[in-house]
Amino acid sequence: MILVQVIMIAVVVVVGVLGLRSHGAHSVNAWKKMLFSLLMVSVIVAVLSPGLINKMAQGVGVGRGTDLVLYTVSLAFGFYVVNQYLRAQESRAQLNRLARRIAIVEAVEKYGLDGSSPHVPGGAAAQPRREPDRGTDSA
Amino acid sequence: MYLDRVEDVAFVVPVFNEQQVIGGVIKDVLVHCPHVVCVNDGSTDGSAAEIVAAGGYLVDHPINMGQGAALQTGIEFARLIPGVRRYVTFDADGQHRTEDAVRMLHILDESGVDVVLGSRFLGRNAQMSRVKKVVLKLAVRFTNATSGIKLTDAHNGLRVFNQHVADTIDITAPDMTHASEIIELISRNRYRYLEVPVTIDYTEYSVAKGQPVLNAVNIAVDTLLRRVSR
Repeated sequence: MILVQVIMIAVVVVVGVLGLRSHGAHSVNAWKKMLFSLLMVSVIVAVLSPGLINKMAQGVGVGRGTDLVLYTVSLAFGFYVVNQYLRAQESRAQLNRLARRIAIVEAVEKYGLDGSSPHVPGGAAAQPRREPDRGTDSA
Repeated sequence: MYLDRVEDVAFVVPVFNEQQVIGGVIKDVLVHCPHVVCVNDGSTDGSAAEIVAAGGYLVDHPINMGQGAALQTGIEFARLIPGVRRYVTFDADGQHRTEDAVRMLHILDESGVDVVLGSRFLGRNAQMSRVKKVVLKLAVRFTNATSGIKLTDAHNGLRVFNQHVADTIDITAPDMTHASEIIELISRNRYRYLEVPVTIDYTEYSVAKGQPVLNAVNIAVDTLLRRVSR
């Protein structure tokens, strides 16, 4: 085994273990885990026998093995970008809901509204509350 | 005409760095209506102090979340004010007229629709640059095509709606795309709507604060993405 192969395999093993380990409450779905394992195994195979990749590339009609690897990496990267984008959107939405809750709870407390009942129909003077200061004093 | 006071109404005003003008806008509205809900969307200037000093309700976003998110927060807070059953969304930069809002409230009651939308293109006024006019008209075409609703002005911040809309609306687009999203929500939730002419006062301040025309590209892309991902 040449040095490059040893280094590559070591890196793949470390990345693989980190990637597949459960991260707290975050459950990565099983399909993604399987896809990920498959990717890791193929990297090891590719590193150990470059000739095999070349044959596969010719089999699917893309000439050299490096081209096949490049295409696969591009695809994987595209998948990664979309995945990250959707995740960012989702956490942004969660953050917004949280921040909205905080803003409303604070304001409800400040103006003495009863936030526990979602809506008070009708009664304008249903409960005592403090209206906003009309800019009378306070520095 | 229509200068009576309305007690059952909350004005919802998203505020982001408007300390120069927000006080005046609030005081104008307070002449007609006691409830001005200002959602301070993470302003870095003295907007919050101005809101409190002028007598508006201050609802403070802990972080900047965008105008659409601020509207949703404001609506949800306004629902908790006892006695409020009608709602107005109003821009903080002073380009809308309170009289228009009050007139729209009358129309809301008389017509029995759920939403009354302000339009710059129905009737007179609209003293804006030719480019802005063209882009806004294109925006209307685009929104009409994607939402299936016929409007003449898709991006007007002055809207009046009833309790049903306040209870059921859920604006998720955080940024300027929310205007298109609201139209989509009108379509999807089958709100009955009407469009009426309003006057926009394009002051030097509101023009400077307004969104650049190029932003239309962002809005179009976001709207299409939303349709694809839904």
